Amino acid sequence: METTIKKTTQSALPLPQSTRKLSVKNTLIYAVLIIFSVINVYPIIWMIINSFKSEKEFAVNQFGLPRTLVIDNYIEAWGTANLGILFKNSIFICLLATILTVLIGALASYFLARIEFKLKNALYTFFIFGMLIPIHATLVPMFILLKNLGLLNNPITLLFPYIAFHLPITIFILTSFMKAFPKDIEESAIIDGCGIFRIFWSIILPMSRPALATVIILNFIYNWNEFSFALVLLNDPALQTLPLGLASFAGQFTVNYGAQMAGLTMSMIPIIIFYLFLEKEIVNGMTAGAVKG
Amino acid sequence: MQLTGKSKAALIIGLLPAFLIYTVFAIYPIIQSFYYSFMEWDGFSEMEFIGLQNFENLFQDPLFWNSVGNNIFVVIASVFGQIPIALFIALLLNRKIKGLKIFRTIGFLPVVLSTVVISLTWSLIYNTKDGMINEILRAVGLDFLAQNWLGDTKWSMVAVCITVIWQFVGLYLIIFLAALQNIPEEVMEAAKMDGASEWVTTWKITIPMIWDTIIVAIILCISGSLRTFDLIYVMTHGGPSHSTDVMALYMFNETFSNLQYGYGSAISVFIFFFSLILIGIVKKVLGQKFI
Repeated sequence: METTIKKTTQSALPLPQSTRKLSVKNTLIYAVLIIFSVINVYPIIWMIINSFKSEKEFAVNQFGLPRTLVIDNYIEAWGTANLGILFKNSIFICLLATILTVLIGALASYFLARIEFKLKNALYTFFIFGMLIPIHATLVPMFILLKNLGLLNNPITLLFPYIAFHLPITIFILTSFMKAFPKDIEESAIIDGCGIFRIFWSIILPMSRPALATVIILNFIYNWNEFSFALVLLNDPALQTLPLGLASFAGQFTVNYGAQMAGLTMSMIPIIIFYLFLEKEIVNGMTAGAVKG
Repeated sequence: MQLTGKSKAALIIGLLPAFLIYTVFAIYPIIQSFYYSFMEWDGFSEMEFIGLQNFENLFQDPLFWNSVGNNIFVVIASVFGQIPIALFIALLLNRKIKGLKIFRTIGFLPVVLSTVVISLTWSLIYNTKDGMINEILRAVGLDFLAQNWLGDTKWSMVAVCITVIWQFVGLYLIIFLAALQNIPEEVMEAAKMDGASEWVTTWKITIPMIWDTIIVAIILCISGSLRTFDLIYVMTHGGPSHSTDVMALYMFNETFSNLQYGYGSAISVFIFFFSLILIGIVKKVLGQKFI
């Protein structure tokens, strides 16, 4: 403290030295943060901007704004990549898998969190163990299993691995949330004559809303982005999901960058909008999923 | 709640769906993996029991060890790239910075995008002819540095790892930021009162206080990067000449391209134990030293 005071009194500059030092430091900090942000977001912006340029313009003017907005790329991408079908398939499988995982998981979590029975802890550990399984170690047997069950290349093929592998994290998050409710909740309900499922549906489920939001978002994003199972289990183009379709589209048309960028932009925009609107919930959900998984 | 006799049925109804689907489609495949790993099988004809032959071949397969080595490279690059960058940016953001929200939003953005979208975007960025990186290098007169980033065995692994780092820095950034914001204000005030410099406060107080979080992040980072598959499958397919091959990818190609289901399953079993053991070791080492 003393030294700074001395310095300031001696200093002839308009700004006290400590403040000046501080502002240099602040500028540096902002510079670093801005560089970090640019690196983070520029690849995406670069691609979106270039998706509106013709092949010729892209070759000569990669970093400027497009001189004229060319939407040919979008028309081509939508047509050849069958983006409409890919979107439809992805939305269908994501919604169905998410709803089922959360419903089945919530029901199981309710019993695991609120009801005493033998083997309860063993069963809980058994479910949680699933978070440790590296999914790639199951690709081959999953393929064989679904093949034997006649479930390959079916609109609901992906439901099985998606539900099975996301139940552990869903159960983990929901069980720890439900455990925190006070004990007398069910007791008063039982006195009122409510059955066990009635308590689940009209008391526990509504009370778990924040945790349900977390697992719904988590499941949806994981399913929406999932690639490996889709790659192994589906080869009918009519059933492909968005990531799988995009990957094969890019493989086919390596030369036409414009169309590829347009396809990528279209598939990215919904998730970015979703993210900007629900940022808090998505960030919470994904970090919870990561830290706990 | 205690159960009465009647509600035993409810218990079964409630737990059965989750138990069944999880057991059949997550646990059973792992067990099947073990079974198939003792077989010679092309996926169509009769299986033949060959004992540990697959594992014997596996341990003598230089391409397999190449993929293990590459996988470890990805893990190391992720841990030493993602964690320090994320921690550094989080420390900068934790100083009551203006625009914190925007920086955070941008920081986390890549995490929500699908790996396939990221891989394809970065493939365009690395493109030899018109890719962003080579264009920038040419624009500033460094033409001679322009490379075929993904097509040259010297650069492919580095290029892939940069993308992996880019994809997940944001996740750890948010995790660290949350931990930093949980440090009680009084602790920081006390340090300031004692005249500790910011450098000292950061190293002696802030980092030790979030050390648990750092360990969790490291473990996460290891298990996540150990599972790298999608990104490399899309970007390089393991090439050129196996320079970016990782375990899961090698397993995939051996099984589905070379139709060696037994051999592929042996690799699966190896991945399973390798992941469990590596994470176990890391937990033990980091946990005991610092907590």
